[in-house]
Amino acid sequence: MKRLSPLAYVPRRGTLQTASLAPVGLYLGAYLVLCFLSSDPVVLLAAAIGAGLTGFGCRADRAVWFSVRLGLLLAVSMVLINVLVTSRGATVLARLGEWPILGQVNVTFEAFAAGGVIGLRVLGTMVVIGVYSACVDPDRILQAVHGVARRSALTATLISRLVPLAATDQARLSEAATLRGPGATPVGKVAMAHRLLAGSLDRAVDVAATLELRGYAQSSGGTKFKKIPSRYDTRFWVAGSILAVAALFSIVMGAGELVTYPELRYSPDPLSVALAALLLLAGFTTWRRGGRRDVQGR
Amino acid sequence: MSKAAEMATGRPALDIDSLSYTYAGAFEPVLREVSLRVEAGEFLVLAGRSGTGKTSLLRAACGLIPHFHGGEIEGKAMVAGRDTRRSGPGELADVVGYVAQDPETQIISTTVAAELDLPLRFRGDHPAERARAVEEVALALNIPHLLPRTVTTLSGGEMQRVALAVALVTRPPLVLLDEPTSQLDPVAGDELIWLLRRLNEEWGVAVVLAEHRIERCLAAADRVIAMEQGRIGFDGGPREFLEYAIATDPALATPSARLFSCAGLDPLPVGVRDARATLRLRGIQPGLEPGEDVDEPGEPESRSTGRALRSKALWVELDPGDGPVDVLRGIDLEVEPGELVALMGRNGAGKSTFLRTAAGLIDPVKGKVETPGGIALLTQNPGDYLVRERIRDELSGPAGEAALEAVGLLLDPESDPRDLSGGERQRLALAIALAGRMEGKELPGLVALDEPTRGMDRGLKDGLSRLATRLSERGAAILISTHDVEFAVTFADRVVLLGDGELIADAGTGTVLSGGWYFASEVARVLDRPGMVSVGDGARWLDTTLRGGQA
Repeated sequence: MKRLSPLAYVPRRGTLQTASLAPVGLYLGAYLVLCFLSSDPVVLLAAAIGAGLTGFGCRADRAVWFSVRLGLLLAVSMVLINVLVTSRGATVLARLGEWPILGQVNVTFEAFAAGGVIGLRVLGTMVVIGVYSACVDPDRILQAVHGVARRSALTATLISRLVPLAATDQARLSEAATLRGPGATPVGKVAMAHRLLAGSLDRAVDVAATLELRGYAQSSGGTKFKKIPSRYDTRFWVAGSILAVAALFSIVMGAGELVTYPELRYSPDPLSVALAALLLLAGFTTWRRGGRRDVQGR
Repeated sequence: MSKAAEMATGRPALDIDSLSYTYAGAFEPVLREVSLRVEAGEFLVLAGRSGTGKTSLLRAACGLIPHFHGGEIEGKAMVAGRDTRRSGPGELADVVGYVAQDPETQIISTTVAAELDLPLRFRGDHPAERARAVEEVALALNIPHLLPRTVTTLSGGEMQRVALAVALVTRPPLVLLDEPTSQLDPVAGDELIWLLRRLNEEWGVAVVLAEHRIERCLAAADRVIAMEQGRIGFDGGPREFLEYAIATDPALATPSARLFSCAGLDPLPVGVRDARATLRLRGIQPGLEPGEDVDEPGEPESRSTGRALRSKALWVELDPGDGPVDVLRGIDLEVEPGELVALMGRNGAGKSTFLRTAAGLIDPVKGKVETPGGIALLTQNPGDYLVRERIRDELSGPAGEAALEAVGLLLDPESDPRDLSGGERQRLALAIALAGRMEGKELPGLVALDEPTRGMDRGLKDGLSRLATRLSERGAAILISTHDVEFAVTFADRVVLLGDGELIADAGTGTVLSGGWYFASEVARVLDRPGMVSVGDGARWLDTTLRGGQA
């Protein structure tokens, strides 16, 4: 018997787990789109926290904390990289002289801020993906993909299984990394990420082959997947729609625009504060009356 | 009319004609001019050393070659009258079921029930038919209790049974299996072979089974094909195959055939029943004569006073997704340095969990396990230890060199681990686990390997067995979890048997692996004499008995 990866999907009677794919896609998609499109740090932070609340509401605590750790690690890396490769910005904090390849390196406050925004974006994205991976049944995704990409098992595998495969591989590789002798070269983050990506893609190809063997691409017209209705669909339709409209509106209106270069200019306007509050509030959509104890495992 | 019955009307299940195939990017073909016809209702065993083309032949027979693997192909393969060059694996799905070596990549769905249901849904079956088919196949493979389980919580053996069930659930007329018993315990392995035989006899399902543990399936086979360097080296009946194997490559022969060959007996036996019948004809009665007294098999002696592993009232709890379960229940076990111990037990008995707890990967809920001299654990997938593209980048310095020397690897440090053979990769992974845990050339107290023989032919297993002996002679205790009884006989001097998380037997190899039905070597099942488990011991006894002497 194995220990589960924090990102592995576990069938539970939680709201996200039992809701249909379309409203869940709209709801989580709204968070994801905001993480990609917004450059407002308040909104990005609220999106990350809101996505985390979503996960907590469905007992995906391990996935949330794992994603936060991974997201923070990547965020710090983003800040450091941006600080080193971008010398733009009027407020110079330190002059580090000539570096090989990078040339003259000046650490500026603006580069810190710009890196921080990218980091927040990555953090929010990681949390959304973590919650999606732990709470959305890959079988439902496969069924949805089968309707639109019937001929390509590889496409279906990459969409529905890449994250679960990567999660499983990550758990196994991490375990092997801890079992390496102290005299072996430690597995650095880069080597691990490289191996994980290559390994997951290889395994995705194997899984796609299996899907082909199961008859994924056979042209039977009778293949119908029964839609399982859920009483939580409405709340996700509503929350997702409100979030999507609010996000679109705030982006069109240019709310909370952050200008980083040459000088940092940012003032959170009421619209971005309202959007942030909405993102936090929407995070409770997955929570049920009676508290989290209500959400029992099967 | 079922597909199998339809095919029984005259069309061969599989017809391969002068098939040659080279993988994309490879220089040498893996299949060379292979011609093979498998009739409907035939049970065919595919034998041969690792890397001789068995897996590629099966892939070609289900359309994965060339549709999924690309490469260059000549000749043709027809499945139920369909040309695999034109029909891909998806189009062949209703006439051929395929079980690949690695069950982990063959499980797609979230739960076992959904996994079994998926191919039926793709085929467009009625819900009632689907429900019946899932229930039937689950009962046939003894996995109804797994149906609600999340697939990520299954053990390797459980996954293998599920993968097999998925291949059978659509009742295809041709089933291709690539080492389907490699992760199954002896009971499940034997049951699987006889289930296949029953499907074959009752429903006319043609079976092509690639297997290294040939002793498991030879008695069920109608015909054996032996692959040699991508070609068919032998094609004939099971008994003729044994004669061919003894003459050309004894590692391919079954233990009972090697036993008879060593003792100069003929004909070579196809299975235990056949062997015992031949012995009776020669006046040798298997088992003890009434009143016959034999020495109890010797128990292994500890060669050192220190302890390599000490487990005291060890309880481990894991959560498979629907609440915590006791996986290990009060395990008391001590292993001394230099001991060679096989950890055996049925699938899901807790073998891997015990090793992982000993290595500190899992915290016990009660009791403790200690490895005073340290532990190096190699898990089931050696590839997980190899993350870089040069051996030098994985292991360097004196610690790395000492570890490579300990596992007997002399490799170019610039070479890519991915270019190594399966056995070499395993040794390199073990060296990585050992590196820095050795004091000079002194090994850690315990070297543990979890199911290391998957996909290995007998030659490679013998190599692993020699490595284990060599490491134990240098003072390390060796603890290997395995389902392979014959492999356990070759390396272990003590066997620890787990059953449902509890330690149920702990004694010398001769004591545990003789006198039983399943956890017994083939030689033990033929001769049925206490402690007689290896080909060498059995042949000596037979030789003495045939000369009229007292064994």
